Amino acid sequence: MSLLLSARNVAKRYGAVQALVDASLEIGAGETLALIGANGSGKSTLSKVINGVVAPDGGQLLLDGRPVRFESPHAAKDAGISTVFQELSLVPQMTVAENIWLTREPHGRGGLIDLRQERRGTEALLDLFAGTVRPDLTPDTPVSALLPDEKQIVEILKAISVNPRLLILDEATASLDSRQVQRLFELIGQWKAQGTAIIFISHRMTEIEQIADRYSVLRNGQTVGAGAVKDATVDDLVALMAPETAGTVVARRRLSTDLLATRRTVLQVENLQTGVLRGVSLQVHEGELLGIGGLKGQGQRDLLLAIFGGVPYSGRMLLEGKPVRFTHPRQAMNQGVALVPGDRAGEGLLAIRAILENLLVPSWRMYGFPLRMGRACRDAGAIAARLEIKMPGLDAPVSVLSGGNAQKVVIGKWLLRNPRLLLLDDPTKGVDIGAKMEFYRLLTRLCDEGTTVILYSSDDEELVGLCDRVLVMHDGRISSELAGGSLTTANLVAASLGVVHRETS
Amino acid sequence: MKQSRWQQRTYRHPYLFALILLFVAFTVNLLLQPNLIEPTALNRNMRVFLPLILVAIGQAIVMIGGGIDISVGSIVSVVNALLATQIGLSGDPATAVLIMGVALLVGMGAGALNGLFIAYLRLQPIITTFATSFIYAGLALFILPNPGGGVPPQFTALYRETVVLWLPLAFYIIAALLLAWALVRRTRYGRYLYAVGGKADAAYETGVPVRAVQFSAYVISGLMAALGGIAMTLLTGSGNAQVGDPLTLSSITAAVIGGTPLSGGAGGIAGPIIGAVILGLIRNIISFANVATWWQTFVNAAIIVLALAMPGIINLIRRRNA
Repeated sequence: MSLLLSARNVAKRYGAVQALVDASLEIGAGETLALIGANGSGKSTLSKVINGVVAPDGGQLLLDGRPVRFESPHAAKDAGISTVFQELSLVPQMTVAENIWLTREPHGRGGLIDLRQERRGTEALLDLFAGTVRPDLTPDTPVSALLPDEKQIVEILKAISVNPRLLILDEATASLDSRQVQRLFELIGQWKAQGTAIIFISHRMTEIEQIADRYSVLRNGQTVGAGAVKDATVDDLVALMAPETAGTVVARRRLSTDLLATRRTVLQVENLQTGVLRGVSLQVHEGELLGIGGLKGQGQRDLLLAIFGGVPYSGRMLLEGKPVRFTHPRQAMNQGVALVPGDRAGEGLLAIRAILENLLVPSWRMYGFPLRMGRACRDAGAIAARLEIKMPGLDAPVSVLSGGNAQKVVIGKWLLRNPRLLLLDDPTKGVDIGAKMEFYRLLTRLCDEGTTVILYSSDDEELVGLCDRVLVMHDGRISSELAGGSLTTANLVAASLGVVHRETS
Repeated sequence: MKQSRWQQRTYRHPYLFALILLFVAFTVNLLLQPNLIEPTALNRNMRVFLPLILVAIGQAIVMIGGGIDISVGSIVSVVNALLATQIGLSGDPATAVLIMGVALLVGMGAGALNGLFIAYLRLQPIITTFATSFIYAGLALFILPNPGGGVPPQFTALYRETVVLWLPLAFYIIAALLLAWALVRRTRYGRYLYAVGGKADAAYETGVPVRAVQFSAYVISGLMAALGGIAMTLLTGSGNAQVGDPLTLSSITAAVIGGTPLSGGAGGIAGPIIGAVILGLIRNIISFANVATWWQTFVNAAIIVLALAMPGIINLIRRRNA
């Protein structure tokens, strides 16, 4: 088999985070390669390097054995590399046909677009998925009127309409139903027979077993294994993605389930439902650090927002035994619930304003009118000392702080209000390892002091090392609960992927 | 999200709202002014509406491409000042044609400057064109510090009195522009314009030359403003360096009434033409009803504020009902 494309020793750094350290893959014509790895292992980044969206810092790409460098997605497309983007590349106001043929419109006599030919071409493409979509999906339907799965299908058709030599499917099956996935797999079979190479990125192990010829496993930005799918079991792959390491970087003494059961229940949630959540029940005890895990976008963020009163929900919530129903975050804040957002720069901090102001933003109303600045400074100073924020002074702007110290300011401003329940939304995303360690120590101390914490994290090691208990979410539900001896990285990854281990549980 | 029936209808027919409003304004106007549909009155009205129609078409094209052009009124003023001083009341036809050609180039140049700042230096459209509008307004005052000058009466007569087959000149110009637009929509450029205004990131990932398209939209808007300036000069026959000022707000209003969303990516030019006619009729109504002329500006501004607030109001009502 002739080698079509190979990526060698690719490296890419985003700010403090090394997304790719040493990633390599090889793919031949007519071959399907599954690119697999846990959350944040660098799959998407590697695919973006290959399709020209991201420029690598190191390593090289070889196409037909010759080194290439793509300056833009367009250059990669000209070289025959087409991508089904996870975040869709469709213009919502335009029709299905207009989107599929954008930049490649068929022209007829007089230099005008040949609408009839465009429509025929679109119908031929839509016929590939005939029977699996609504019959009123026509070439003239505006994309904004489509359902998510139909949008995904149009995106796939757009990518395949250029007759690519290499097709990258980045989580393309995530929003499709099972019939549509089966149809896609039939089509992949046909495309392979025509010599198209396919890179298939998916979290669903059963799909990988069904469709892929070979696999390549990424872990922490490094390629750690590759081979033929038929020679490997699912357990082998999970082991490659998440090896059982002795003593992770994070270490916190876990509270036993029996001990926790003796403590007060701070929050009890029963059958919580929103647009995303499909019946979530949980309870968390005083001083507990409860982790929420699973693949990205399974409803974790919605769960935190619903508890905080940020999205409408149905179901029952008891805060320290009393039924509550928050319809606005302010009500939750007044009851001692705080949510620390994940996007520090966007939602958490006013970068150009002073640390003092940032710490006091949620609390100004406690200082009367005119503001009692003396007391405010004392309180802020006390929090800064308690969190050991390293800073030139309270009046320095937040922008001078390092990532970890800025993180502490985000948490500090909520601690000023003495929350009983602290909700954390992926707080260490994009934070360097040193800052993470300090953050872990802070969380440990807060829990020891009696604060209850619910932590959603996309970092599996962090959840395992830090939490007393981890709830794994899948498709808007809690799919499994890991605690004590069953709380290991391997189990967490397996549970996230929906792999059921018969011997445990 | 599920769309309401009204949303679906207005998506398919962006100027549906404009047609309803046109009918209402026309009826009211007809009651106040019964001879409105006589040929002379029709011509008198259409020749007055034409400058705004031309400017509104350019504005709509920029808005479809996801931008906005606050400098169009000042470009009209520059062109008026240029024609009134360079052709003069006793100018000959050859000079007039030459100067008009120069005026069109000046309009396109002004648009190119806007486009350069916005598409290539990535400045905010609203701030940029607001700022350049002062440059162009200053240029107009530099050319023509005091109202005066003008073009020979035989040129204005040509614009004002030409009637072919009972229809005034303005109808043929509008028909020609509608035909040209129908052709543009069948070209790749037309598709690019809607794609860039709809979702620029997606267009870029697909390989659309996003910046060139944005740049071109402002050049077209400058050209249409210059055409509007020529029409305005031929209508009034005189020079005034502030004649274009009211056209900026009116052109945006006309485009918005005509179903061009301020968010871009949708609409056309038929709607804005109807929108400009509606604004003209409203002005008629206000003058015939003997109310103060500031109502004109008030109505224009109220329409824009309403159009901006409408999606938010609809959301608020829905959330309350949910």
